[in-house]
Amino acid sequence: MKVIRSLLDKLYEVPGLQRYKPIIGAADAILYGTNETTHAAPHVVDNIDIKRYMSFVILALLPAVAASVYFFGFRVIAIIMVSYMAGGAVEVIFAMVGKHDIHEGFLITGLIFPLVLPPTCPLWVVAIGVVFGTMFGKEMFGGTGRNIFNPALVGRLFITIAFPAIMSANWQQPFDYSLETDATTVATPLGKYKSTAMAGEVNPTVVEFKEDEANKQVLFTSAAAVEKCTLNPESKFDGVKIYCVGNGAYKKAAKHKRIEESNLTRLFSYGDLLVGKEPGSMGETCRIVIILGGIFLMFAKVSNWRIPVSYLGTVFVLALVGHRFLPQDIAPPVFQIFAGGLMFGAMFMATDPITSPFTKAGKYCFGVSCGVLTVLIRSFTGYVEGVMFSIVIMNAFTPLIDQIVLMFKYRPAKT
Amino acid sequence: MFLKKYLGADGYKILKLGITRDHPIFAVGLGICSALAVSNTVANAIAMGAGVTFVLVATAVIISSLRSMIPQRARIITYMITIASFVIIVQMFLDAFSPTISEALGPYVALIITNCIIMGRAEAFYVTNGVRLSVIDAVSNGIAYTYTLVAIAVVREILGFGTLLGFQVTPDGWPKWVVMSMAPGAFFLLGVAIWISKTITEGGSEEEEE
Repeated sequence: MKVIRSLLDKLYEVPGLQRYKPIIGAADAILYGTNETTHAAPHVVDNIDIKRYMSFVILALLPAVAASVYFFGFRVIAIIMVSYMAGGAVEVIFAMVGKHDIHEGFLITGLIFPLVLPPTCPLWVVAIGVVFGTMFGKEMFGGTGRNIFNPALVGRLFITIAFPAIMSANWQQPFDYSLETDATTVATPLGKYKSTAMAGEVNPTVVEFKEDEANKQVLFTSAAAVEKCTLNPESKFDGVKIYCVGNGAYKKAAKHKRIEESNLTRLFSYGDLLVGKEPGSMGETCRIVIILGGIFLMFAKVSNWRIPVSYLGTVFVLALVGHRFLPQDIAPPVFQIFAGGLMFGAMFMATDPITSPFTKAGKYCFGVSCGVLTVLIRSFTGYVEGVMFSIVIMNAFTPLIDQIVLMFKYRPAKT
Repeated sequence: MFLKKYLGADGYKILKLGITRDHPIFAVGLGICSALAVSNTVANAIAMGAGVTFVLVATAVIISSLRSMIPQRARIITYMITIASFVIIVQMFLDAFSPTISEALGPYVALIITNCIIMGRAEAFYVTNGVRLSVIDAVSNGIAYTYTLVAIAVVREILGFGTLLGFQVTPDGWPKWVVMSMAPGAFFLLGVAIWISKTITEGGSEEEEE
């Protein structure tokens, strides 16, 4: 270790390397940490600094990375490498031109960004996205700690809008390691639900189709709905395609005499969603690992429980109420929680300390608003997934939320 | 140097400042709406730039030669009427000679009337200066507006459509950057262009002030 120390100290002195000081500084800080202290009050006596924040988040993300490699193959590693290299280059260039230090913040952006991409994403698109996110999402606003929007989400949104065909059509089936990008085109669970619900009836109390009707299909989202419908003697299941969400509804329907097995399809089971055996963005599919990582961050006091809890809670309640009245548009609550990028977004992106409110009331407000927007975008727009959009929209409102909370909390005394 | 001799020292200075330091879009922030809207293809950008330059020069001639007769209180309406007349000429010309571009530009030709560059220059320059300097200023601003539009349009057309002036320049299977053919793409590019031009003209002096 002493060899490296003295080498680094020598590197600082080399006159030709003065321009590259930020790079040496970054290597030094990563290897040895910093002994810089705050120069002015307030002094907080705790050894939590930006680096511990960052390393804990990365630690919490590693299981998700491992899971995505397991499900989608080693291409995931290549995507992460490209993300780090392209984004890191932008970071280094800005540090050298602006003559400031390289911040560790990029280590998180560079890892979170690839995890929200589809596994079939071409490498050059990854590079464009991360360069755009780092540049316009972060460096334009003055670097780590000053950004308004989550840089990873800015990059993801940019390539989503720029290349809709690449970003939302091709989803790799888990365990399908063939690297041809157009080999497998399957829909994500959210997409499947949306298209199936649009095409037919959802949770009807009676299945009645006319003889000549072209598209006879029904979607059941719970065992209770299946039971209610099958108990009705007027239901006719001849030639009606039946789709089920979750194992409960599927088993119930399979048991029923009048439903033919060949007409019955299980869209997905909740267990598969939880484990990650369904197509989706690389790091978002294995929810169980994400939940564990998120809880780890909460216990380490790196992220705050208020935003994820209020976010997920709002989605659950809204979906519960909404699914009862508008089953055609709004998916059932448990499915909404475990589908798409919601879990990942709530645990790792909405909790970003830079772009979310710092007041407690503000955090609840942020989470609830994100939840409302997510359900609205998922249910009533052309987009299948609304987590990214809702978090980015609420990022823009973060300063306002904090301002309003502080205004109410610290009202000037009446004179 | 030829230009300097021809235009005189003051005229040359106006011409130079108009396309560099006092650039209407980069420095003053005028005419941004049309720059965002019609910079999707190079052909549109050239047509729009030419139209705006023509209206600028014509307005400069009229306003600066009538400047002693324009009543102070009614000057804005005078500008409006002058500009509107020339915009209608441009619109009719485009309709007659290139209906496709006229259709592509849509309402933006008529909206040259509200282009802030023309009103701004009329109010700030033409009404207080002679015909010669006003025309030089108009040409300078017109060139600045046009080259900005064309520069942005070149990038947007290549990335967004894979073509340049309607000819395909990219290999087959080029993935179109949909965002570049929409307004957000123009915003990003214009932002970058303003950033570059500020860095060149001011040498990053803003940061040193902090």
